[in-house]
Amino acid sequence: SSDTNLGIDEEIKIVKQRRPIPKLDDNRLLSDAGIPRLRKISKDRLRFKGKGHEYGDIARMLNMYQLWLDDLYPRAKFADGLAMIEKLGHSKRIQYMRKEWINESKPRHTAGDSDE
Amino acid sequence: LDEWKTDPLVDPEIRAHVYSLITALGGIGDDGTYALGDDALLCLKDLRKWLKFADGQANIRDVARCMAEANLVKGDLLEILAKISPRVTQDKLKHRIAVSCLELLVPLTWPDEIDPAEITYNQLRHGPYMQLAQIGYKRAVLQFDRARILQTAVKIALPAMAEPLRERTPRDEGIIRIALYFLRNIAMLSPPSNVPMDIDEAEVSRSTTIDTFQEQDIFQVILSVASSIGEDFVTQDVIILEILFFLLKGVDAEKLFMLDKKLSSKNTNELKDLMQKEKAMLAGYARHAPTRHNRFGTMIWVKRDDEKVSTISGQDVLGKAQKTMEKMDTTKKWNKPRRGARKKDDEEQREEFDLPVHLSSSARKHLKAFVEEFLDSSFNPLFLHLRKAIEREAGRVETRHSRQYFYLVSWFLRAECARRRAIKERATDPTSSEVLTAEDESYGLVAEVMNQETFILLNRFMQKSQDEKAWRDLNAGMKCFTQILLTVQEMSESATDDDQEIAENIQNRIFYEESTHDRVVGILRSYKDQGFGYLDACTELSHVFLRMLERYSKQNVDLQVRSKKRARKIRKKAAQAQGQEGDDEGHVSETEDIVAAQRATSERKFDFARFAAKFINQSSVNTFVAFLRFYKTLDVEQLKRAHRFFYRVAFKMEIGVLLYRVDILNLFNKMIKGPEGLDSASSSFREWDEFVRHFFRSVVKRVQERSEFMVEMLFSKIPATMYYLEHGHDRDIPTR
Repeated sequence: SSDTNLGIDEEIKIVKQRRPIPKLDDNRLLSDAGIPRLRKISKDRLRFKGKGHEYGDIARMLNMYQLWLDDLYPRAKFADGLAMIEKLGHSKRIQYMRKEWINESKPRHTAGDSDE
Repeated sequence: LDEWKTDPLVDPEIRAHVYSLITALGGIGDDGTYALGDDALLCLKDLRKWLKFADGQANIRDVARCMAEANLVKGDLLEILAKISPRVTQDKLKHRIAVSCLELLVPLTWPDEIDPAEITYNQLRHGPYMQLAQIGYKRAVLQFDRARILQTAVKIALPAMAEPLRERTPRDEGIIRIALYFLRNIAMLSPPSNVPMDIDEAEVSRSTTIDTFQEQDIFQVILSVASSIGEDFVTQDVIILEILFFLLKGVDAEKLFMLDKKLSSKNTNELKDLMQKEKAMLAGYARHAPTRHNRFGTMIWVKRDDEKVSTISGQDVLGKAQKTMEKMDTTKKWNKPRRGARKKDDEEQREEFDLPVHLSSSARKHLKAFVEEFLDSSFNPLFLHLRKAIEREAGRVETRHSRQYFYLVSWFLRAECARRRAIKERATDPTSSEVLTAEDESYGLVAEVMNQETFILLNRFMQKSQDEKAWRDLNAGMKCFTQILLTVQEMSESATDDDQEIAENIQNRIFYEESTHDRVVGILRSYKDQGFGYLDACTELSHVFLRMLERYSKQNVDLQVRSKKRARKIRKKAAQAQGQEGDDEGHVSETEDIVAAQRATSERKFDFARFAAKFINQSSVNTFVAFLRFYKTLDVEQLKRAHRFFYRVAFKMEIGVLLYRVDILNLFNKMIKGPEGLDSASSSFREWDEFVRHFFRSVVKRVQERSEFMVEMLFSKIPATMYYLEHGHDRDIPTR
């Protein structure tokens, strides 16, 4: 008899999917709001006063990191976010990118020398 | 009685039997004192059988619980012991009754070690009740006012102890054993931390135990057994070890030997320091506290980049930019889930020996007298005997004993050093009449633990516990090794040439093995969530080791070390040779070759710079950062240790890049600038302030020079790019 009613009478169960929690992963870290933005704002905005203002300089730098992290991943506290990013740094992909960034900022002429 | 039927926590039949036996044991007689029942001896024997067979074999605790509920210990056993105590050694029957009492007391006070693999529901149910009952037993024994129970226990064993070792019967040995185990149990029982108690903790504290031991001459017994170990006593060494361990663990050996006046001034200073700390803390809060009532309802905007704003409420952030940033952070609700934090609360770990114990002044005095006598008479024989027992893995030695052994070695070495310092101080004091004798000068009293055999055993023990991840064992081993190093150092500063020579020899032996160096580095690098006590021990070990090795290698420029040769090359060669000669030579010789090759060692010149470089790397930095995170509770000595390490990293070895990480900078900044930073009036503050300022300056300079640091600052550095980051150019690779 079960195949005669074609399953019409059976109640359809609606399983609500939980909304996935956004993750701080390497995709997010490499997105525009991630490291590329950090590289930009650190160049544009960060100004150091130099000698005699060590604590102020570092505090400004830390604040910049904190605000950047808050924009990138508002969920996490500063210390937690730092720990998560540090852990991501162990992945192959991020390590590769880190090397690239360092190479980018190396002085031009060394690259030119090796080409010639 | 009805509630027993409806809710049978224990088997009603067992309860009926045990209760009738206890009733038949005796009670208050006609003259108002305790009167023994007619068949008291048989009753005692029966009770013991119940305890042994019902509880022991079925793995339940019903009988023990019935005995606790029926007040057997305080109501009967102690009364019986008190009654027969005066004539216990003369009267045969009384002696037998007394022995039977002890035979019941020892299993009742025996600490419950339940193997988690075999735990039964029954044991779990009775566990907390029995723990409290045992504390009650301890209290009853210590506070019993009509007789000296501990002394009586010793008295019972005296006839057996008086027998020469060869003529002792197994029964005699058994009586000595239970008497000593009774002492151990009393010393060992301590109030459980997880169960609330309704008796005064002072009545069962360590101080009370020590005072009672002194009053009942138990220390004399321990001393006489320990000093004649190997002659009149053999198997009792581990029990003495345990008694000592539970008496001494957690006690500060240095404080024990301070003069009263000095100690009280030290204590006042500590109090002053604490009050100062509290004041500084409160001032820190007051600086940021709201100046108006809590419904004042301020709300501010923080303008951010890209035309964005954040809102924060509360007037405490008005006009304080830094405070605003903090509040934005602390009001976030989500916390990163910590893996493994719930898995083990390190209660058990700490309980072993990292929990400090405070003694009353009378207990301190008694314990000091005991420790001095022990060092003078019994330390060498007992620890020599124990070492041999551990070495040949005698049947009576259990795993916990080697841990206790090494902990006690470190404890007594520390005590001996503190005592020598105290003697010296008194001798230099012109008002006192004491003079230094040759005996005071020599380190003969602790010589048995400063020899090559002990070092070998210690090395093996540390290696084994590291391999097996037995962190508590390793902790004890590290403490012992650190203390040996410190003792050797004091020895090398001694006035006599002999001592200096001996110290030189010992250092030679310690620093000769490269595997020791590697182990110290390895332990420091592999720290991960083993708790604060372990962290403290491993940072101290590496600090002391590195400092002494540095000094030693400066004095002995041509220091040689024995290092393991790389076995791979030799193995390859051997394999080739085998191939040429043909395979039929057999496998046997090949494996032998490999084993021999792996064992091959060679001497080479020791280079401190190379060693220090090995010492300082990302994981050891992480360990010290984890240590420094406790900066609020660290004392001056510990802060100094961390300071020296970071100073070495940043400026001596010049690999500051290891520290260029946002979380580390954040920690440093917080330590100095707060909130909840170091107390700015403390002596460590200035040292740290100077270091951090200096370090921050170098950071700012570097970052301005090379912008790639802004990204790299988030991560631990990769070896491939570290050299470039540090020096600004790639390593020169010689090309042809």
